[in-house]
Amino acid sequence: MVADAGMIAIGAGIAVGLAGIGAGMGEQAIGAAAVGAMAEDEKFFGKGLLMTVIPESIAIFGLVVALILLFVFNA
Amino acid sequence: MGAANGVKYAYIVARVRAMKGKLIPKEMYPKFLNMDIPEITRFIGESEYKKDVDELGKKYKGTDLFEHALNQNLALTYRKLIEVSQSEANFLITEYLRSFDIWNIKTILRGKFSGASEEEILEDVVSAGELRYRDLTEIVKVGTIEGVIAAFEKTPYYPALVGYKGVLADVENELDKMFYSNLIKAASQAENKLFLKFLRTEIDLKNIKILFRMKRAGMERENTVKMLIPGGMELKESDLGRLASLSFSEFVRALEEYSYWKAISDISSDLTSLIHIETRLDKYGLVYASKISYYYPLSILPVLDYILSKKIEVDNLRIIVRGKETKLPEEIIKSHLVM
Repeated sequence: MVADAGMIAIGAGIAVGLAGIGAGMGEQAIGAAAVGAMAEDEKFFGKGLLMTVIPESIAIFGLVVALILLFVFNA
Repeated sequence: MGAANGVKYAYIVARVRAMKGKLIPKEMYPKFLNMDIPEITRFIGESEYKKDVDELGKKYKGTDLFEHALNQNLALTYRKLIEVSQSEANFLITEYLRSFDIWNIKTILRGKFSGASEEEILEDVVSAGELRYRDLTEIVKVGTIEGVIAAFEKTPYYPALVGYKGVLADVENELDKMFYSNLIKAASQAENKLFLKFLRTEIDLKNIKILFRMKRAGMERENTVKMLIPGGMELKESDLGRLASLSFSEFVRALEEYSYWKAISDISSDLTSLIHIETRLDKYGLVYASKISYYYPLSILPVLDYILSKKIEVDNLRIIVRGKETKLPEEIIKSHLVM
């Protein structure tokens, strides 16, 4: 039982970790582009910020999967 | 296009796209034609050129102010591109902007050849390349063509200049050939096929312009071939040799085989005006650059598209103001504009 809980915790960790890396990879180009556009015109701040955080949803999916693992399967 | 390449170009591409958004829209040019020079200068003084007009306002007046402000803005804009780009983009932009070094060398040589004053020569200098304005100002002070050539001894352009034997066209031709062959080498070195594609199309357009000029001037095949730049996309060396040996009407017919024909097909019945042909070829180059920059958005192409668009904006403004100054009819000014 303890071993199962450990495996679930590792699974949750992988879910959050990989989703975070994925989101980061997605954000690097968007972030660079947003900063480039903002350097020329400050009006791009709102749009740039919005575009940059869109890949964050992937990290949230990872977090949700981790929470499901921890609270549903662990119960 | 790999993900890593996309990341590399994301910053500079977003930046040039934002810069392109600030260019004067083409709808404005017909309006400029209805304005007086002071009105145009006022409009320009309130646009992206404000800083340059304000800065040079104390030193120059009227169309001279306009000319200097446009050149300074062009040089600073291009220099900014070099400063804000990194790695491969920086290398390719720097190499491409060497065309302004060639332009400046030609301007100084032509100025000296025709006995123009230092001020007149400096009016046309655009220090967007490796050679700085300060250095060029010093070189302009040299009295003779031989002296000017000697002043370029430590630059990479010297081998093309050293063969000067009293005919400027030969040196200019050598400079062009050297520029494009170095650029092709740079593109191959960076393994950037898109840059190479853009470049080779530019060479083709340049060669077509040369061919039209040579045919119109009735030049011999040998002399024409000597002027043409190798390395084009559709017009290979064998094509160039064949086109050079044809008469004007045969040459026009032979051009129909190439995709560039659609640039001039609408005026095919009246190809008497070189200006009309060259304006259309320039427009073709501009549209082509814009089109392929959308096909490959995270590459060097949007930057090259911007460089071309900015250059054409400055040229158009200059044409309008110079045309108005010499009181040319609107229709003639309009026919020179690339829109």
